[in-house]
Amino acid sequence: MNRWKRLAPVTAVVASAAMVLAGCGGSGDDEAADNSKLTVWMMGEGSEAQTAFLDGVETEFKKKHPDTDVVVQYIPWLEAPKKFQAALAGGEGPDVTELGNTETQGWADQEALADVTSKFGAWPEGKDILPDLVKNAQLDGKQYGVPWYAGVRALYYRTDWFAEAGVKPPTNWDELVAAAKAVQAKKPGTYGIALPGNSELPFYSFLWGAGGEIATKQGDTWKSGYNTPEAQKAVKFWTELVTVHKVAPPAAAGWNEIDARTQFATGKAAMAFAGSWQGGAIKKDNPEIEKVWGTFPIPGPDGKPAPAFAGGSDIALWKDSKKQDLAWDYLTVLLSKQKDKEFASSLGFFPVYSDLVSGGEYANDKIMAAFATALQNTKLTPLTPKWVEVSRTKTVTQAMNSSVIKGQKTVDKATADAAAEMESILNAK
Amino acid sequence: MTTLTQAPETSAARETPARRRRRVDRLPYLLLLPCLVIIGVLLLWPLGQVVAMSFFRLNNVRQLRGDREWPWVGFGNYAEILGDPFFLTVLRNTVLFAVANVALTMILGTLVGLLLNRLGKRMATFVASCVMLAWATPALTGTIVWKWMFDDTSGLVTWLFNALPDGLSNALFGRADWTGYGWFNSPLLFFAILTLVVVWHSFPFIAVSVLAGLKSVPSELHEAARVDGAGPWKVFWKVTFPLLRPVFGILVVLSTIWDFKVFTQQFVLAGGTQDRPTFMLSIYSYAEAFSPPPKYGLGAAIAVVLTLILLLVTGIYVRMVLKQEEES
Repeated sequence: MNRWKRLAPVTAVVASAAMVLAGCGGSGDDEAADNSKLTVWMMGEGSEAQTAFLDGVETEFKKKHPDTDVVVQYIPWLEAPKKFQAALAGGEGPDVTELGNTETQGWADQEALADVTSKFGAWPEGKDILPDLVKNAQLDGKQYGVPWYAGVRALYYRTDWFAEAGVKPPTNWDELVAAAKAVQAKKPGTYGIALPGNSELPFYSFLWGAGGEIATKQGDTWKSGYNTPEAQKAVKFWTELVTVHKVAPPAAAGWNEIDARTQFATGKAAMAFAGSWQGGAIKKDNPEIEKVWGTFPIPGPDGKPAPAFAGGSDIALWKDSKKQDLAWDYLTVLLSKQKDKEFASSLGFFPVYSDLVSGGEYANDKIMAAFATALQNTKLTPLTPKWVEVSRTKTVTQAMNSSVIKGQKTVDKATADAAAEMESILNAK
Repeated sequence: MTTLTQAPETSAARETPARRRRRVDRLPYLLLLPCLVIIGVLLLWPLGQVVAMSFFRLNNVRQLRGDREWPWVGFGNYAEILGDPFFLTVLRNTVLFAVANVALTMILGTLVGLLLNRLGKRMATFVASCVMLAWATPALTGTIVWKWMFDDTSGLVTWLFNALPDGLSNALFGRADWTGYGWFNSPLLFFAILTLVVVWHSFPFIAVSVLAGLKSVPSELHEAARVDGAGPWKVFWKVTFPLLRPVFGILVVLSTIWDFKVFTQQFVLAGGTQDRPTFMLSIYSYAEAFSPPPKYGLGAAIAVVLTLILLLVTGIYVRMVLKQEEES
């Protein structure tokens, strides 16, 4: 007896620990159609402008649903995949979420997003959204997201350095090299061009400009375009900026777009590839730069601007959400033409409505004009949920370019290897 | 050995009341129970899950939730990994890295331990605290600082190499301007830097453990050896090492385990899971399992392979140590 008395506290502790642990798994699932709250996930850190804008959206939304509070949570871009996986595994996700438009198909394939085909078809304003962007949010012909804003990349350059070196913004590949060399010669200690050797999207403009393709679908199989002479020409040009022309340093093999942009912002490079939305970050690094920067579209080899990747963000409804209709109502307020224009311009993006971008709206804007030009001619990465593995996990294109810059492979070998790897991933069962 | 096997027989023969004995025996287990429950829930259960997952094809997060079927693939995941030539690269990287790092960590740690033993009290405290600072730095923060030191434009290392006289730098490395040099471009250089970071992080533990061992060795033994005319090299191998063999045994096993599963340092230095030529088993497992599209089954199989290799390596080593002890 005595002994058991002594043990009683121990047993109690064990028992309560077991209960706590068991309790972790339980709960949830009991908030079926509680419409008092709508959870919205937004990407990024949430600037003041964005928060103010979303408050406005909520006010508008509350006119129709006065009893629903909108709770906005910001998720850093790089955290998003982990957050999505955790939400999907645990069953507690948002009702509405933003996501990068390169990721929509992958998450649709993971059954994270709701099929909004019929809702989207019945929404009149949706008909004016740029078709490339709409297509990019589809999987097997079904719509899983609605484009929110669009962005393309162009080249930022230092107008003062260009003037000193006596060069004009280049319009073809030869001029690009000549300009980079001229400025670098005039400004010792700087690079002609901040090449993001470890990024794929700026490179695609060169690939497409040379007439190459990433991959095309022939019947049931994907065929990589990397072992064509056009693609090899693009890889050769891209990598020779470092290896032959030396207008970017060897370290550029490891740079991503942010690294490259920082080189430009801190006055170490004369040109950098960046999207219109990154202007704010560049200014944050160096507020003075506003006086001496300009932009021009990424040139093709022959004097025409190269096609640009149609980047941007989509808004999707979370499949596990029990408030699909409420969520859709929020989406249509957020994405209404008027709100879209208001928001896109505050962030340095473009609205997704063709009638809003095609007019002469941006022609006189020193920075936005080049992007508006680039937006006229966009292309997409291959439309398959397996693309994300080529692009993010195996980083086939980045590895191809880096290996040539690092001198590990020849252009022929690197393109052949990349093509083979890409085809094996895209055609895997 | 003989006394151990005899003990229960003799006590049983003594015919103590069986009831009483059982009572006394049960208490320790009951006291262990809370610990076992926690270890079971937090360690054994997930471990079992990983092993189980490695036999299924798990490519969708919803499967983890139990919303979807788990298709059984038997050893399919293992066959896929072992059949992939990339696995050989990863395995080679892992083994070479671990061997180099265990050796360097042990050598440096032992040397610092011996130094600490010889130093005066104040100096020893000073050196020991400096060394412990490296040990106390979290792997993540420490590595970020190292990465900054190797930054290609404003890093300390880049600056140091730039500060070398141009002629010397040209003669040694064939270049004088190091700004923009890609420190992490070649796998070999990457592994050299990773080794530097990992050894820097792990040698303090070895040093302090060796010091603790040395303190327990009577100093007369060393003095006697020295009086007999043995140099430091001989004293170490003939006196110190044999006495500290169990300590070294444990330290090598621990270092092997740590260096085989290095993850944080590599993840930070490589900037994520992009640099596939420098993959080692743990980051390979992580990349396969969690990079989109997820392949949890494949990632789990890699983790199991890593665990088996570790068990094998440490098992062989522990046997070796035990055998040597029996012999001596």
